[in-house]
Amino acid sequence: MSTIDHDAELLRAGAHVRGAWGTAGFLIRRYPLGAAGAVIVIVFVLAALLANVVATFDPTATSSRNSLTPPGSVYWLGADFMGRDVFSRIVHGARISLAVSVGATALGCAAGIIVGLMSGYLGGWVDLVVQRIMDIMQALPLLVMALVMAASLGPSLQNTIIAIAIALVPNIARVIRSSTLSLREQPFVEAARATGMSELRIAVRHVLPNTLAPLIVLATAQLGSAILTEASLSFLGLGVPEPHPSWGRMLSESAAEYIRTAPWLVIFPGIAISLAVFGTNLLGDALRDMLDPRERT
Amino acid sequence: MASYLVRRTFLMVLTLFGMSVLIFVMLRLVPGNISDILFDAAGFVDPKEKARLERDLGLDLPILTQYWHWISGLVQGDLGFAYVTEKPAIEEIAPRIPVTVKLAVLALIFSVVFGVPLGVISAVRQNTAIDYALRILSLSGLSLPSFWLGLLILMLFVRYFGFIPIYTDPPATLWKELALLSVPAAAVGFRSSALIMRLTRSSMLEVLRQDYIRTARSKGATPGSVNYDHALRNAVLPVVTIIGIEAAFLIGGLIVTETVFNVPGVARFLVEAVIWRDYPIVQNLVMFIAVVVVVVNFIVDMTYMILDPRIKYAD
Amino acid sequence: MHNRRMALVAASLVGIVTLTTPAVAQQSGGTLRIYHRDMPPSASIHEEATISTNMPFMAVFNNLVMFDPKEKINSIDKITPELATSWSWNADNTKLTMKLREGVTWHDGKPFTAKDVVCTWTKLTQEESEKGDAFRKNPRRVWWQNLQSVTANGDHEVTFNLGRPQPSFMAMLAAGYSPVYPCHVSTRDLRTKPIGTGPFKFVEMKRNESIRLVKNPDYWRKGHPYLDAIDWRIIPNRSTRILAFIAGDFDLTFDSDVTFPLLNDIKAQAPKAVCEARPTNVNNNLIVNQEAPPFDNPKIRQAMLLALDRKAFSDILSHGHAVLGASMLPAPEGVWSMPKEMLNELPGFGDHTKNLAEARKIMEGLGYGPDKTLKVKVSTRNIPIYRDPGVILIDQLKKIYIEGELEPIDTPVWHAKVARKDYTVGMNLTGVGVDDPDVNFYENFTCKSERNYTGYCNPDVEKLIEAQSREIDKEKRKKVVWEIDRKLAEDAARPVISHNVENTCWQPRLKGLILQHNSIYNGWRFDDVWLEK
Repeated sequence: MSTIDHDAELLRAGAHVRGAWGTAGFLIRRYPLGAAGAVIVIVFVLAALLANVVATFDPTATSSRNSLTPPGSVYWLGADFMGRDVFSRIVHGARISLAVSVGATALGCAAGIIVGLMSGYLGGWVDLVVQRIMDIMQALPLLVMALVMAASLGPSLQNTIIAIAIALVPNIARVIRSSTLSLREQPFVEAARATGMSELRIAVRHVLPNTLAPLIVLATAQLGSAILTEASLSFLGLGVPEPHPSWGRMLSESAAEYIRTAPWLVIFPGIAISLAVFGTNLLGDALRDMLDPRERT
Repeated sequence: MASYLVRRTFLMVLTLFGMSVLIFVMLRLVPGNISDILFDAAGFVDPKEKARLERDLGLDLPILTQYWHWISGLVQGDLGFAYVTEKPAIEEIAPRIPVTVKLAVLALIFSVVFGVPLGVISAVRQNTAIDYALRILSLSGLSLPSFWLGLLILMLFVRYFGFIPIYTDPPATLWKELALLSVPAAAVGFRSSALIMRLTRSSMLEVLRQDYIRTARSKGATPGSVNYDHALRNAVLPVVTIIGIEAAFLIGGLIVTETVFNVPGVARFLVEAVIWRDYPIVQNLVMFIAVVVVVVNFIVDMTYMILDPRIKYAD
Repeated sequence: MHNRRMALVAASLVGIVTLTTPAVAQQSGGTLRIYHRDMPPSASIHEEATISTNMPFMAVFNNLVMFDPKEKINSIDKITPELATSWSWNADNTKLTMKLREGVTWHDGKPFTAKDVVCTWTKLTQEESEKGDAFRKNPRRVWWQNLQSVTANGDHEVTFNLGRPQPSFMAMLAAGYSPVYPCHVSTRDLRTKPIGTGPFKFVEMKRNESIRLVKNPDYWRKGHPYLDAIDWRIIPNRSTRILAFIAGDFDLTFDSDVTFPLLNDIKAQAPKAVCEARPTNVNNNLIVNQEAPPFDNPKIRQAMLLALDRKAFSDILSHGHAVLGASMLPAPEGVWSMPKEMLNELPGFGDHTKNLAEARKIMEGLGYGPDKTLKVKVSTRNIPIYRDPGVILIDQLKKIYIEGELEPIDTPVWHAKVARKDYTVGMNLTGVGVDDPDVNFYENFTCKSERNYTGYCNPDVEKLIEAQSREIDKEKRKKVVWEIDRKLAEDAARPVISHNVENTCWQPRLKGLILQHNSIYNGWRFDDVWLEK
């Protein structure tokens, strides 16, 4: 695996273009699904960042008069059982999903990188021990791991992030380790070593940057599964607690009861989760195609 | 080969041993003390009762002794007592396993039946409209939360068929049970089929680019025979691997799907046990899931070796 | 409100009609199918304090006496014999002697005798230290604190010896929570495979799956029960189980499981289903740990009380059907409630806008404001009926600069956590087993009670509670009860937000079920229920 010179790639592909806009235009034509994914992700991130501006109501304000109001001009996506605006809750819920997905992925990646680098670079018994620990952690499905963690740590935003992050570590560490193993023997690393650079510095300055491509591909793929895991945990009542508007809990039992009388309570948050995950998956696919030449189609 | 088998078996046992230590420590040390939690869960308030409870449950013993009791019992098939029902844990867990196994096998069949052919079509018709449609379908399969899909399915069933496909009575015959389970199996299998479809497609694409396929083509083999005889046979290998990954993947989906469809299987039981703080059940169930995942992966590796003798396992 | 009253009047008229006309020919046979909302913590009624145990297992047992199951309102004046055939008080009302039914056998064939009664009430009053085969939990110990001993006079007579007169003693004996246990069966077995004298025998309980009872052919009430069996299916997910009821999979919903918003759904999808609304005698209340700063300051508690918009709770949670009152169940279903005029004088009732302004002023006086909010965790049980009012509470407290975050506590841990006072602010539901001041006050407001979650302790109130308990004259007792209720409200002891009214639904083929309107815990013997073929 190596980094990619995009301009060269573009030229090779016959795209005689220059400049940022031109590149963007080319990428959109080359990866239409990825571009669609990027748009969805951007909308999702903007909604999360600008939730206070975009939302039309306070997402936690209850109102007895508006309980179960159908979608309309005031409540665009209807109101829930407690008279809270579904649209505003979905917009604010994007924050939770973003916080959980980015937080857990970042934390998981950070831990995974350290473990993976150590394992791959130091090798020997460190590698052996770390790999066995990763084996153990991988023997449990993500949701089971997160479930047990959430139950023993107690439900909160922070703990949900930690639980999902820990479950992500083995995947990341595996990928970093395998790229590190191959990079360790590369001539430029040998050269750096010959100049008397410290091992730590070599690892951080020369090896790590070269593992970025597979890392980005993997991290994007994890974003989606983090969102889904949080939603599942919240659905089971072990995720982020009230009054934070989490998408998963919007779908949990109290909402699902009104699946026929107030289908908007079930349909819209479900669409929000699916779209956000769909977007990150599309983007992740496109990034993999771009960064990982082996998978090039 | 024999040495590989020995090594692989040793690693498997090591992983399971590590798992047992991890789960034991996790439930005992984070965040407090298992006896505090059980004490609370029993609804006691008087601290005097706590000593009695600890003695009853053997929690006053040193932690190593406790671990030894559990693990030596486990090896002999004695899983201790369920805290809530005061029955042997094995009696609680064992009857739930067949239900989940049936559901999982159905889901797996569903995902292979749909995933493999659609993945092949997608690869053979690469970059056509069909390919794009199938890729979007497979991605959406990975994106829809399975509990949401389950709720929508239930809603549609009640509205259009006037009955609800949930598990209330143990069905009279195996066929009836399988028919009943096929609905949740489809809900959870949709996601798995999406994964299989994606991986089938990419491994097919890889195989299609290889030399011997080109050779076959140049020798005048029809496109159909190239695609389906030569390419698919070779693409089956990675698909077998995927089924191994599926085992872990599927269990996650089963947890929420069993909850929505009220299926009395082990996956939902884990959630219930966690919520009830029935730690004897939780630790045994987690171990059980780990054993399933590890053993399935082991079998997959072995299958792989039989299917493809070219792969060397000297390591 | 008005409509609800009319409905209740109509319902009770129907009740009278069915009582006076000769009963339509009951049909025997059939299996009654009911869904259950969750797994009962155990089958032992004495050891649990939840309808989850009470509703399925009451049919396995008998009481000594019982609230007349044909009456919609449980009352001390309407008590019928069960295992006791007759009873009498001594002159100073401290000895209650009961004659026991002869020829009754337990489900395992052993005869029922006075020894079983002595055993049951000895276990209920035993101190921790003398425990042999004792109950693991004894949540209603305060009910029996005035009971000094139980003595058997031969095999078929017992005497309860009380420390002082207590007219409510009979009411507590008549509660669904007071079955007679067999002496020869261990408490452990009673938790897992109960044996009683009741109309149905226990067959099996599959965890999170099902409970099955079958007809007791040797039941002492000849010709009863009508049903061959009762099949309970546990469906924890409410949307799934309501769908299953609509699809006709069940004859009866779990008690009070149908909220008003859901009622519309059932009415639309299963128009033939019979649904009855009734007060559950379960109230939502705000609990504040009086030992946790800054809530040790009575001013903050006062402000919180004033900030409660009770009508909003009722409007959201039950489309305005919940009833407002002090700690005793409001009239007409409640026997002990204070008059309306008195209720409106209590702090926190009356004009909400004015109350809220006053509450804000108090908080501002303490230095809180939009820029300096008081952050707090609002603990509640992790099930919708607790979480939903918890969310509304958080929203209302926001208006007086208190910023809450819900702390959902899983069911099995909840009780111990709040009893230990390991919380600051909580949303709680209190179910009152019998509509009687002794039951409510002793359990929830006396200094030493385990279930006094807030740590409220007022010696004056304690004296009044004692005084009403020994009062034989019902009208005099009522006056004292009102006085106590007023003081509790003024002290913001445990502000009651609303008394819930919920629906229970059944398919029209289910006959003979009479729901009681001032308690959900006492009417589940199922020996008069039958299914139309």
